[in-house]
Amino acid sequence: MRLKHMAIIIGVAYGIMALLPLLVGDIRFLMNILIMCLIWAVVASCWDVMMGFAGIFSFGQVAFFVMGAYCSGILAIEHHVTPVLSILIAGLFTAGMGVLVGLPCLRLAGPYVALVTFGVHMALQPTLRGEIGIALGSGGSVGLLTIPPINIFGYSFSSANIVPTFYLTLLVSLACALVIMFVIKSYWGVAFLALKDSQDFAMSLGISAFKYKLMVFALTSFLTGIIGAYYGHFYGVLSFRMLDLDLFSILMVMMLVGGLGHYPGSIIGAFLVVAGSELMAPLGAYRAVTMGALVVILVLALPNGVMGFFLKRASDRAPSG
Amino acid sequence: MFSEDTILLLYEITDVLIAGLSTGSVYALMAVGMTLVYGVTKAFNFAYGDFFNMGGYFAWILMFGIGFQFGGYVTVLIVVMPLMFLVGYALEKLMVAPLRKRADWENKVMMLTLGLALFLTSLYTVVFGVRMKSLPPILEGTLEVGQLVFSYQDILIFVMSIGGIMVFGWMLNNTRIGMAVKAVAQNPIGAKIVGIPKERIFASTFAISTVMVGFGGILLSQKWFINPMSGGTIMVKAWVVTAFGGMGSIRGGLYAAFIIGLLEAFVGWLFGMSYSIIALFILLLATLVIRPQGLMGKGD
Amino acid sequence: MLNVSNLNVFYGESHVLHDVSVSVGQGEVVVMLGPNGHGKSTLLKSICGLVDNAKGVITYKGKEINGIATENIVNLGLIYIAENRELFPHMTVLENLKLGAYSKNARDHEKENLAWVFDLFPRLVERQKQFASTMSGGEARMLAVARGLMSNADFLCIDEPSLGLQPSLRHEIFSTIRQINEQGKTVLLVEQNIPQIAELADRVYVMEEGRISFEGDKDEALSNEHLREIFLGM
Repeated sequence: MRLKHMAIIIGVAYGIMALLPLLVGDIRFLMNILIMCLIWAVVASCWDVMMGFAGIFSFGQVAFFVMGAYCSGILAIEHHVTPVLSILIAGLFTAGMGVLVGLPCLRLAGPYVALVTFGVHMALQPTLRGEIGIALGSGGSVGLLTIPPINIFGYSFSSANIVPTFYLTLLVSLACALVIMFVIKSYWGVAFLALKDSQDFAMSLGISAFKYKLMVFALTSFLTGIIGAYYGHFYGVLSFRMLDLDLFSILMVMMLVGGLGHYPGSIIGAFLVVAGSELMAPLGAYRAVTMGALVVILVLALPNGVMGFFLKRASDRAPSG
Repeated sequence: MFSEDTILLLYEITDVLIAGLSTGSVYALMAVGMTLVYGVTKAFNFAYGDFFNMGGYFAWILMFGIGFQFGGYVTVLIVVMPLMFLVGYALEKLMVAPLRKRADWENKVMMLTLGLALFLTSLYTVVFGVRMKSLPPILEGTLEVGQLVFSYQDILIFVMSIGGIMVFGWMLNNTRIGMAVKAVAQNPIGAKIVGIPKERIFASTFAISTVMVGFGGILLSQKWFINPMSGGTIMVKAWVVTAFGGMGSIRGGLYAAFIIGLLEAFVGWLFGMSYSIIALFILLLATLVIRPQGLMGKGD
Repeated sequence: MLNVSNLNVFYGESHVLHDVSVSVGQGEVVVMLGPNGHGKSTLLKSICGLVDNAKGVITYKGKEINGIATENIVNLGLIYIAENRELFPHMTVLENLKLGAYSKNARDHEKENLAWVFDLFPRLVERQKQFASTMSGGEARMLAVARGLMSNADFLCIDEPSLGLQPSLRHEIFSTIRQINEQGKTVLLVEQNIPQIAELADRVYVMEEGRISFEGDKDEALSNEHLREIFLGM
């Protein structure tokens, strides 16, 4: 997809988002949902870049999100670091973790990367709950309950000031989306297409798979860590329950709905799925069941998601040549 | 002579050893199933842990849900094992086979089975409730040798798991289907050329692994509780064992299973259960860095 | 015995075989020549049910076989012997041979075929218990042919049997194919070497760029200037 088209889609999506507070700005509940849409859009996009774009089958995205969130939360609570700074530090920390995980992974093929990253995910939960976590200040089973909101020049961005907070979130989310867009469309992007198509050939041209993949790990972990930290400061509360498979699968659904590898599909996927998930809230416990079934159905029926569907319509209509 | 304390310590260590061997034998069962499926079909089943629980739940439904306890565990096995086979076969045919034609199919299968895992985990939670169920042990009572106490249950689990694996091994090497499975694993094109129905073999292999893991589930549910949400952890454990032993190597899987069963038991005893997952993870990382193909893997 | 009409095969977007029509009579040895990569293997594979997306009519003994599952085609009596051999590396020679007799048709005749195959390829007898991956190039080739024979097929599609073999072995393999033919099997052979073919072939086809460019019997082939240029020049 051309840069122009991508930019237009992102512009339209975020533009519509930007206008929504005019309609529902005073409905706190809906504003919360919109903010979540924006946050998850970043996570889903990062994951899409890893899996669909760079072809790295990583299952660690949620783990990095949680790492960033906890890091910033702990820094803010235990060490009284101001949130803006702690978010940045958390981002860098998560990027570091991303590199650490990436180093062994990248020598391996498909299932092994998924295994290691999923293992990180699974190992994170008991770590946070257990003694190591408590020692670091994770709050063990209880989690973190009193994360301070972002504070810029004395103005507190919390759910008390929901509309300005929304716009701040929009800005952060949009910034991340644009960074991702430029990465995809840059030389990195071409390198990855080459690597995905035929790794051996690309490497013979001097494209170092290892270097690029590690950079992707670092970048996506950085962005995910930042948005995770942001989430912590907005929501105020963190718990290890975020590591349940529930969230994991919802993110996967977002990518599948949007179209794996078809950025910016995951942004739209995130918006749609968060909205849909809220609509499904009355289903209670059956929501997760439905999510699981949805993943299965989507993988089978809609291999390229919403983006794929539209791309196909567009290419069917356009004259070939 | 040894002091009182040392002797007690030795007895404790023996207890841990037995526990480790017992769980190790079930891990072996699961690892063999997983390595079989991966070696033959190259498909990775994320819902493997949930099938483990499925075995336990089917048994529970039969014995307590429907209340049919006649014939004890023999009935359970006669009913549940074919059921697991059908589930596995149907799953492969309906969900995995259609994906094989697509690009990137291994990744798509992973995603699909992950969705399936979520579906099953939450389904179990909804249907059975968060409280854990357990199955009655096949044999109660203990065997006393001097001051050592062995529970019959542990011994039985060990015997049955090993028995299951041996039956499987025999089938693999001495029956026509077994040879066909090996053939498909070693050279799928060659298998097609000689007229082996590859797709049916894929489905059967998947089904067999489902039976094995379900059997393991029934065995271990007698000792530990069935936790509806444990599917993911169980799958990762099976995966670690298989990767450590070497994907595609049955012997490697066997060694790995016992090593890890024992490791888990000892780490749990010394430091507490929550550390055993971390220990496993460290072992996995070490394996992947030092010797990625596992103990006996064929370097896939 | 075998009739192919207007076969078109696509690999993705690329049109590999164009309206190919070929026929082989019972008991014949028909040789297909032509430059590499022009579709000869694809034709053999299509006949033996190893290619998806083959459009056209293929009949064997009057029965339409295009689109039938590979295992059924093998059971009907056609077998493909690959140029890559495609053996089972971690199984013994004997196990490979036994697997060759997987279909029902083959199983009924396993004992006799095994004896026959050992008679044709004495070297395999010594190597029975060895793993297939330890065989030399020539032995592996023999094993591939032997395994194909175990299927009890009446119609053999053999893909470049002499590829990579030393001249002495080449001669051996061709004379074995001649023997097989004399014992009643029909052979469709894909090859590159014209001199040896002269001894073997009843009829010759030439495929270039996915199309049949020549069809004729042995004498017509040998006296054709164009053919001599292409192949003797190599």
